[in-house]
Amino acid sequence: MNNTLLALKDLTVEYKTRKGYVSAIDGVSFDLQYGESMGLVGESGCGKTSIAMSLLRLMPENAIVRRGEILLDGQNILQMDERQVREMRWARISMVFQAAMNALNPVYRVGDQITEAMHQHRGDLPPLQARARVEELFQLVGIDAKMIDRYPHEFSGGMRQRAVIAMALACSPSLIIADEPTTALDVIVQDQVLRELRRIQAQLNMSMIYISHDIAVIAEVAKKIGVMYAGRMVELAASGDIFHTPRHPYTAALMSAFPSIKGPKTRLVALPGEPPDLLYPPQGCRFHPRCSRASEICQKQTPPFETIQPNHWVACWNPLEARA
Amino acid sequence: MNTPDSPLIKVENLSLYFPVGSSFFQRSKSHIHAVDEISFSIPLGRSLALVGESGCGKTSTGKLLTRLVDPTGGHIYLRGKDGSLADLAALKGDELKRFRRRVQMIFQDPYESLNPRLTIFDTVAEPLLVQGLGSLGEREEMVARLLEQVGLTPASSFLFRFPHELSGGQRQRVAIARALVVRPDFVVADEPTSMLDVSIRTGVMNLMMELADQLGLSYLYITHDLAVARYTSHELAVMYMGKIVEHGETEEVLANPLHPYTQALISAVPAPDPAYQRPAPAIRGGISKPIDPAPRCRFYERCLRAAQTAGGDPVCRENDHPRLEDKGGGHFAACYKV
Repeated sequence: MNNTLLALKDLTVEYKTRKGYVSAIDGVSFDLQYGESMGLVGESGCGKTSIAMSLLRLMPENAIVRRGEILLDGQNILQMDERQVREMRWARISMVFQAAMNALNPVYRVGDQITEAMHQHRGDLPPLQARARVEELFQLVGIDAKMIDRYPHEFSGGMRQRAVIAMALACSPSLIIADEPTTALDVIVQDQVLRELRRIQAQLNMSMIYISHDIAVIAEVAKKIGVMYAGRMVELAASGDIFHTPRHPYTAALMSAFPSIKGPKTRLVALPGEPPDLLYPPQGCRFHPRCSRASEICQKQTPPFETIQPNHWVACWNPLEARA
Repeated sequence: MNTPDSPLIKVENLSLYFPVGSSFFQRSKSHIHAVDEISFSIPLGRSLALVGESGCGKTSTGKLLTRLVDPTGGHIYLRGKDGSLADLAALKGDELKRFRRRVQMIFQDPYESLNPRLTIFDTVAEPLLVQGLGSLGEREEMVARLLEQVGLTPASSFLFRFPHELSGGQRQRVAIARALVVRPDFVVADEPTSMLDVSIRTGVMNLMMELADQLGLSYLYITHDLAVARYTSHELAVMYMGKIVEHGETEEVLANPLHPYTQALISAVPAPDPAYQRPAPAIRGGISKPIDPAPRCRFYERCLRAAQTAGGDPVCRENDHPRLEDKGGGHFAACYKV
């Protein structure tokens, strides 16, 4: 049985600016199964949020899709008409944004905002049933049902983020995209939101794409991890493999750049240089100017994104050895 | 004489209260106790990390130590070259300006903290100008040398550029150079790397530590990230609702946290290991603002130790906030249940 929910194939997106074309996503491919949770990790400007926006067809006006397709249950999202896109958003793919305060309208009650999102898709839903559904959602994300008639400012940061998650779940989507949903939260609240997300994802058997710059957060929610650098996916594998046997030098560098609170205290090695300007991405491998393993071919040819071992893809001419 | 153990800075019962709900017609009756009678000292050449969640008072403490805000009460003693202690909390006018040569600050956001209309040279030279140090030629030389020291090489290619031409990491290096150009011996760094990307952050942290060694600097390193605190600082102090609840050697506090709040903070840090099932932190409820706090332990409402006794442990419920006491080997905690 085909169990693939989502398939990105060679997605390539550029942003047209006054200075030229910014290569935001370049040839990214991956699959996501039903019920699977995947993490997208990378630094600012690596293209992780652009991928999320493409999935929801929320790209800015100046975005140009050069190549590729995004198949949701075999249907290309990029070729849907406006009506199909509206039907897809929230009902099949929904999104949890980073700034929960901005995602909620301050002058409407939180419960009403969630009901409104449901009405877009199920206009026939009687008010009483809609309210019962909101109560159910609040219970699911761990908010007291009496908060339904409250306004966003009466919610704490963590509660607001839970409300936004409840809203994303309202129409029972098969895929939820979480873009840095805990980045603005304090660590104890972050812990609570991560636990809720993990529990809900398992309970509803929903697929999830979790986007973050923090690889430790990703490790806690995702079964597999895609590492992005300068618009390209450089490595994709099960979380355990990414952590224990990273094959791309950037993944390894990213991992060793995080200080830890446990284990021996070691001096961290800083990666030289800065991420490239995507108006003028480097030729060949985009990581080569910062890479300690770069050789001549890296400067000339783009390394293909290939399997290096079962279920482990990497785009590198000189990958690291698998540790024994 | 200054011995290695003598404190560079010594804070006693320092407080900062903000009035709430006041208006032109009405004096405020309530106050937020942003910083509430905290005491600590930082030895010469050592760094203290101040950690805690948003609103715990860590940034306010940094602003107090640099005298960007005036304390409601308490003392901030800074050791002079001759070993005498001067109370910064009482300084005014010219004395305050002279003090700023010794205490500088690095801010969180290098996009906001640099004047977009000043060149890098003007930015870094400004403190020298304010303090009236050096001739133009000397200032040029000092700025160039410092830019090289913070890794902006060659300095000549940065001197006459503007902040918008630099990346976030480079801007933060400029901010560090600006703080160090007057040769301070104490620097308050408020989340200096939290806006930077991971691959850039490490370089800036390493630079700050190298400069501390070279120049004999002490930092008060304010951060919400325990791992960053561990990496950058000798000592760690944990703040909660305006109070320091635990203070000691960083490694000791992280390995054997005594206060239940510190324990919860540590156990909430995501583990960079997909196979590890991290247990839930032992804490209840959410954070609240310290507006006219009740005279009891600030952590009482969220503490599971106090809740073990039905109706709340009477020791915690009926006594004022516990004093920060040495629980052995210079490891301080403010808790009745340790």
